[in-house]
Amino acid sequence: MAMHALANRGKLISVIGDEDTCVGFLLGGIGEINKNRHPNFMVVDKNTPVSEIEECFKRFVKRDDIDIILINQNIAELIRHAIDAHHAPVPAVLEIPSKDHPYDASKDSILRRAKGMFNPEDLVR
Amino acid sequence: MTAQNEDVPSEAVACELLDKIIVKQLHLMEEKMRCELNIESNIKNGSIHLAKSRYIMGQSSVSTTRLPTESSSDFSASTKCETIEEDGLKVMKVIENDAEDTVNPLRWFGVLVPQNMHKAKSIFQNTINYVVECVNVQMQLQTNLKLIEMLKQYINSEKVTAA
Repeated sequence: MAMHALANRGKLISVIGDEDTCVGFLLGGIGEINKNRHPNFMVVDKNTPVSEIEECFKRFVKRDDIDIILINQNIAELIRHAIDAHHAPVPAVLEIPSKDHPYDASKDSILRRAKGMFNPEDLVR
Repeated sequence: MTAQNEDVPSEAVACELLDKIIVKQLHLMEEKMRCELNIESNIKNGSIHLAKSRYIMGQSSVSTTRLPTESSSDFSASTKCETIEEDGLKVMKVIENDAEDTVNPLRWFGVLVPQNMHKAKSIFQNTINYVVECVNVQMQLQTNLKLIEMLKQYINSEKVTAA
């Protein structure tokens, strides 16, 4: 039992991204297919429906064995409402750039939320 | 002034604390952008090696068709993350999973894979460290957001009472 607990320590890092992002991070060793045959990754291409991405994101959020969800920023843009609605610290949703789409800080959910705090009317009194 | 009132921080103290947290927040925002740029350069670098492997092995040899699917046999991730407490803060760190059912991802792409594939693997392994570093910064940003909100509410309520 102790050995089993030791082997199962740690939580997963999941990824929703384009082909190269998924292939790369899976090469890095984060990929897993659990006993119920549920993968912790999703490859998104130009034909993937937005509803499917959103459904997968919500599924990853509900899974208690996932601590980090990586999502390409251009894909995150498609399901922005779902990402903005996620406020819990765990699983942490991290928007990452891809080879075709450089990182844009103005689109990042967390940075936008943080910037929103610096409302001049609130700060200068 | 009663002893109970002395325990309650004054508006000035709360404002000072708010200033400190906001400065810290700005530093964290800068730190997050730095982490994201590190991730970006790593992903670009890794993608170049994947493209070179694709050139050597063929278009479909390095693609999603080689990745395991729901019908593949189950296996565990070799790299995971763990939450630990450091100086009263919850931080994540990368750990290697020593379970027996882990696989070598390079085997999905063949037995003899080009050197570029090995390079891409080590670059993406390194990227995971940057990812976890970025997540830690993001978690601190979220904690500070809650603190700022609470302090603002406190200062506003103090103002109302003073008026």
